[in-house]
Amino acid sequence: MKKRGKGIACIFYGTGYGNGFPDVSRAYARLLEDGRVEISVGATEVGQGAKTVMVQIAAETLGLLDKDIVLINEDTSKTPDAGTAAASRQTYNTGNAVKIACENLKEKILEDAAKLLGVNTKVGLCMKDGLIYVKSYPSKKVSLKEIAELNKDLQAEGVFTAHTTQMDENGQGAPYWPYTFASCAVEVEVDTETGEVSILRAKHVLDVGRAVNPSLVEGQIDGGFAMGVGYALMEDIGLKDGKMTNGSFEKYIIPTALDIPEIEKVLIEYPEDTAPYGAKGIGEPVMIPVAPAILNAIYDAIGVRFYEIPVTPERVLLALQSKG
Amino acid sequence: MILKKIEVNINGRDYCLDVEENLRLIDLLRDKLKLTGTKEGCGEGECGACTVIMGGKIVNSCLVLAFQADKSRIITIEGIEEDDVIKNSFIEEGAVQCGFCTPGMVLAAKSLLDKNLNPTEEEIREAISGNLCRCTGYNKIVSAVKKAAKLKRGGDGE
Ligand code: FES
Ligand code: FES
Repeated sequence: MKKRGKGIACIFYGTGYGNGFPDVSRAYARLLEDGRVEISVGATEVGQGAKTVMVQIAAETLGLLDKDIVLINEDTSKTPDAGTAAASRQTYNTGNAVKIACENLKEKILEDAAKLLGVNTKVGLCMKDGLIYVKSYPSKKVSLKEIAELNKDLQAEGVFTAHTTQMDENGQGAPYWPYTFASCAVEVEVDTETGEVSILRAKHVLDVGRAVNPSLVEGQIDGGFAMGVGYALMEDIGLKDGKMTNGSFEKYIIPTALDIPEIEKVLIEYPEDTAPYGAKGIGEPVMIPVAPAILNAIYDAIGVRFYEIPVTPERVLLALQSKG
Repeated sequence: MILKKIEVNINGRDYCLDVEENLRLIDLLRDKLKLTGTKEGCGEGECGACTVIMGGKIVNSCLVLAFQADKSRIITIEGIEEDDVIKNSFIEEGAVQCGFCTPGMVLAAKSLLDKNLNPTEEEIREAISGNLCRCTGYNKIVSAVKKAAKLKRGGDGE
């Protein structure tokens, strides 16, 4: 018999290293001779989109287009330390460092521009599309290229230190900032004859603060969801006497395209004050509610609570037998 | 070491090669011919990262011996044109994250669309089910294949 059930789970997750572990990201910004801006940052791209996001944040801050940003990353001889691409921390932590570096560079550029334009302060100046102009008198302008020709040494650093405080001996305190919230709902079908669980539908709601790049966020939700499905239903390294018994894809089963449904995605944009343009880290939070939502749905379908994962067909059948 | 002489056409180019009897096709491609777009994930036929098209069918090049490719036509990811519809649909739909599975996925998709320009969602998922992806959760890959199918049929892909 095939039985259906629905489940939901909600989570919050502190991004960054947290709990007192130092968490600092650095970035450099430099005006190039042709008027483009070079950003040097150690944020590692592993497919999550760090390169894209850093370029977008820099372009936004400097009023430039993405193509006017030259990104140097993952080169330890040139780039300052941005910490690891882990703890869902690059967009928030290193994004902040990039934004600060660009703001610092912009201040320096505006100071030079004020002198060149013969105005007494940089207050009334605007910087957009590679030009600096007087807001109330836009024809009075100078280009980034002209500024770069006169001052070959326009560069700035951005440093961002995240909140991370060690908890007290009772495990109380404020270990992280900020927190990302997510919830996931699934409908499953349990085959009581084979013990197989399939996911029919899914919805994922994620509080992203601000989606710097919505398509990348969706990609992270899809990927995290699939990992959650594997975690809940399939993946088991089979640790025995300190050794993995399932050390190959023949035994360590991960989801294929056939195991994943389309996912309805909802992005909640409630900007985080301390974040670059409000954007929070989302890499890990997308995965966390998936397994509990699936286990809740299984309970709804067959009335069995599982306290051990993965919920493999064998475990489902055993549980159904002992339930009688 | 016993050498075997093979003739093989790879990405439209004819090769006449002496290969060791136990050389795998993936090693011929990657190590001897420097066609490193084909990736080795598991080396045991489970992940599909090493997928190439041989004689019109997708094969795991880690499970094929080079001499078995004698007299066949092979397409690797390097044989996919710059302006290829499938490749560009992958880019436009955001179907690439780390990219390790991508060469195999693109070829699995090509092999499907070469035979069926109107696949259902289920057929697309089935066609790429031999290719594991740890990053994308597959959905954007499925959308990319749908889009490519539509473009190839003459639609606008939307
Ligand atoms: S490397 Fe050939 S299937 Fe994994
Ligand atoms: S994009 Fe990373 S494995 Fe598919």
